Amino acid sequence: MFSRNKNQSASVSTDMMEKQKRYEALVKALHADIFRYAMWLIKDKSIAEDVVQETFLRAWKSLDSLKDEGAAKSWLITILRRENARRFERKQFDLVDIDDVALADPNDLGDVALEHRELRRIMSSLSEEYREPLMMQILMGFTGDEIAEQLNLNKNTVMTRLFRARNQIKEALLGDQPKGEQING
Amino acid sequence: MDELTFRRTIYAEPNTTDPEVIQAAKDDPAKQVFWDETKALESKLALAMNIPVPENFAEKLILRQGMDEFTQHRQKRPWYIAMAASVAMVAGISYMTLLGGNDGLAKDVFAHVNDEYMSKEISMNGEFVSIDTINEKMATFDGQLSEEIGEVVSANYCYLDKIKSLHMIIKGEKGLISLFIVPGSESKELQDDFSDNEHFGSSFLLESAKIIIVGNDKEQVSQLQEVAQSAFTF
Repeated sequence: MFSRNKNQSASVSTDMMEKQKRYEALVKALHADIFRYAMWLIKDKSIAEDVVQETFLRAWKSLDSLKDEGAAKSWLITILRRENARRFERKQFDLVDIDDVALADPNDLGDVALEHRELRRIMSSLSEEYREPLMMQILMGFTGDEIAEQLNLNKNTVMTRLFRARNQIKEALLGDQPKGEQING
Repeated sequence: MDELTFRRTIYAEPNTTDPEVIQAAKDDPAKQVFWDETKALESKLALAMNIPVPENFAEKLILRQGMDEFTQHRQKRPWYIAMAASVAMVAGISYMTLLGGNDGLAKDVFAHVNDEYMSKEISMNGEFVSIDTINEKMATFDGQLSEEIGEVVSANYCYLDKIKSLHMIIKGEKGLISLFIVPGSESKELQDDFSDNEHFGSSFLLESAKIIIVGNDKEQVSQLQEVAQSAFTF
């Protein structure tokens, strides 16, 4: 009797350990991508951190439903987007510009950094319908089909938005050039 | 492939492997140039998107989960499973198992003011926390902080007896002191004054929220209570 109990508890605790290991691996592999995605979506560092924390807590709770580790990225993005939507049900925040605060890196000097800052400014000024598929493609490496599934759009719409997003970036860059003396420095 | 279709395809998917696109670029050097330029911009965009991730963020996510798991299962499961949930929580667990008692909220409060737990929270946070940052988190509780309450070194959500709360750690003259915001509607019974061997706690309702203050120094706790009463609005 005693030994049977012991075995049962041991197997429960082994399951827990396995789940814990799997969770920690997931966090380590994907927390940076997920955080960056949240930053580009939300544009505010502390809110992005909170939303990512909630996302991973939910992921932990339903970790058993993730059958295929290869699908983890899009699974987490789905949770993140839902968590972010819940935030708007609760309260509308005043958001600060991504380039003004969160990304201002004091060590960011030089032409390349300047160029990156300009690109970030342009990307964060894109409207969400263009910014989000672009992030999914560049940051998360999703295919057109995967983006379509995430955003619940058809693939043609996604491809059009991606085209327009890059078109807007290119136009913004061209528009900047005449007055941007530092850019050619 | 005409110019427009070519550009549209490239802009929609700069790394496309569409054979028609590849052929079109081969046939027309101008198209190839456009494609190369777009690819160059693409790698710049990818680099620009790679913004820095907060320090120790992975550890923080793992610790959060451990704390959550621990508070969720504290009463339901044997202690060693809770321990398996997170090595980081070992200190808290031994503390709770030893303490016993029946007040879930007070027990969780004490678990969150454990020295080891607090020093982890603080080390993950870096410097002090600004009023703006606190207020972003206060929005969850429809509340606002309008005055300085001291040097806040950490402000993070935590779960007290399954209730989402905001835990602020403040550096006082006589040691660290914790202030918790709990939604008043969800807050469970907690005495106005409570204590264990090391800590003094005080709790009071402020409009729609319950504020709980815990520290090692009784006088410091009542001082902060006075400040909090006028500094927070809900």
